[in-house]
Amino acid sequence: MWRDTVATGWFAIVMLACTSTGSAYEVIEVRNGGTITGSVALTGTPPPPRQFTVRKGAEVCGTNRVLTKVEAHHGMVRGVIVAIEGVEQGKPFPTYQAKAKGPGHGEFHYTGGNTMNLGVHLKTCSFGPFTGVMMADDIIRFVNHDSIKHILHTYALQGRNTKMLKTVHTRSLGAESQTEKVFPAKRLRHAHAVALTCDRHDFMENWLYLAHNPYYAISDETGHFSIDRVPPGDYVIVAWHPVLGMQEQHVTIASHGRLAANFEFTK
Amino acid sequence: MIRERKVDNRHFIPCLVLSISMLAMGSQAAQAALLDGMMDTVEEALAESLAEKNERLTTGNFYTDSSPNAHGPIGMMGEHTHEAGEVMFSYRLMHMWMHGTRHGTTRITNDEALDLGPYGVVPESMRMMMHMAGFMYGWNDTVTLSVMVPYILKSMNHRNRRHTAKFTTRSEGVGDIQLGSLWRLWAVEAPSLGAHRFHLNLSISVPTGNIQPTDSTPLRPDGQRLPYPMHLGSGTFDFYPGITYGGEKGQVSWGFQAIGTLRAGKNANGFSKGDAYQINIHGAYAIVPHWLSGSVRLSWHDWKKYNGADPDINMRVVQTGVPARLGGQRLDVLGGINVLLPEIMGIENRLAVEGGVPVYQYLDGQLETDSVVTFGWQGLY
Repeated sequence: MWRDTVATGWFAIVMLACTSTGSAYEVIEVRNGGTITGSVALTGTPPPPRQFTVRKGAEVCGTNRVLTKVEAHHGMVRGVIVAIEGVEQGKPFPTYQAKAKGPGHGEFHYTGGNTMNLGVHLKTCSFGPFTGVMMADDIIRFVNHDSIKHILHTYALQGRNTKMLKTVHTRSLGAESQTEKVFPAKRLRHAHAVALTCDRHDFMENWLYLAHNPYYAISDETGHFSIDRVPPGDYVIVAWHPVLGMQEQHVTIASHGRLAANFEFTK
Repeated sequence: MIRERKVDNRHFIPCLVLSISMLAMGSQAAQAALLDGMMDTVEEALAESLAEKNERLTTGNFYTDSSPNAHGPIGMMGEHTHEAGEVMFSYRLMHMWMHGTRHGTTRITNDEALDLGPYGVVPESMRMMMHMAGFMYGWNDTVTLSVMVPYILKSMNHRNRRHTAKFTTRSEGVGDIQLGSLWRLWAVEAPSLGAHRFHLNLSISVPTGNIQPTDSTPLRPDGQRLPYPMHLGSGTFDFYPGITYGGEKGQVSWGFQAIGTLRAGKNANGFSKGDAYQINIHGAYAIVPHWLSGSVRLSWHDWKKYNGADPDINMRVVQTGVPARLGGQRLDVLGGINVLLPEIMGIENRLAVEGGVPVYQYLDGQLETDSVVTFGWQGLY
């Protein structure tokens, strides 16, 4: 009798463990969604662009490169991730491409749908725009279009004061090759962003915010952003930039409502 | 005479089980390094103290190909790991010259060496050259695999007690092939802290080297089995467990490596070489950043005497035929140069040379080492 009880209990525990896959985002039709718009401003002087002398693969990368980490125009910041946390159901992930501003021409391709489906296309020694988004437990495809090798090195930004970069994965990407990688949520449980770097080229540095849903936007050249079809409710909205840091606001979205949320960073 | 063929497996089974289990574990490695997640408290404390200096702590970065001294001196093996998917080919040419006999820490004359037995023949000098082809592959974020294939040429000059005959014996062929694995343990770095990287070494050698080489001698012009130092392998499966640490800050790098050699039982000829260990401490400075570095190294070797004996090797003829005399200790001081060359066809090339002399030797009436020189090329893709 006791053996049956133990076996049944063990079976139940195993089944529970197998079916508990966490709180995955679910795509549903959003009929009464609201919209959040806003802007991101910067007070103070942004850090100057960093200059690099290219030592490996200069025939592809160029002999000198510049890395602009904070791009601000008339006090407004480009490239800040604005994300709504805690949305578990809603619109599908968007389909779009984000291209680097140069001198490299890397691209982030988001196929979208039920998951983010990110593809990182390395071109002329660039992963893509300085900031972007990614999802844990989602397949990410890295495609090297260059005729030289890159060594992909990803770090999780974590720690109480976000002063720690922890290696998640490294991969040698041969000339014109590709690889796929899933970044497990377990490895990223203490992280809020992932740095993409190339061990061979120190000017290749990009940051992907760990989004959990498609309710995010990246501020444009005028510092503005817009997030639509947000299911009504109370949320925390986060603005994050790898250099400027993180800010949060608590917001309430009404049915078909429009809400303004502005952020201001100081440097 | 009954030949002893009993195989002593005291190391073989546990080492083989350990090797296979670690490789199985490595294939499933979910971490970037073995100690990932176990050093969180240390890492948090480091990150907190570095934050006061406005610095960020980086963990798990084992990349070592940005400067000439990021690789250790060429005379060392398994001192760096590779990123997943990286491939490195290497070639080393090692030359060792031995001349004269040492008994304890004292250099003795050839006549005194003959009286140690007494023996009828004394070795005056020996030259060993080894061509070593190497291959390393970054299997995943944790494990780097390696294969090393040596081709060895040995020659030993002798004379007899009466000074009436001088002769040279030679042996040549493939040595013991070594299959290795390197296991990333932990790495931290920050601008003020420098980089600190730790990994485990776990290798096994396959007994492909000849342990019964023959050559003509005045006693046996038709061919005689040569004594132990002329063998090209150990005849046993040998395990090489070890730990390696490497540090780097600015133009300076340094490192430590301790590697053991455990012989798995006795070979088919009834003997085994003694267990051994080696400790290396090295430092280097990038004289021309991104191009040229110079290094110094202290290398301590300790090897035990042989167990058992080959019945076809006469112990009364020459000191090199006495297995109980083949233990010893040696401390080498070596200097080297590493050159990081521009890429050719997408392959990063390194050239390096290292040479040195012993400053301490303790031998039991054997040929003493006078110099060791290693030249090498490494091509990374």
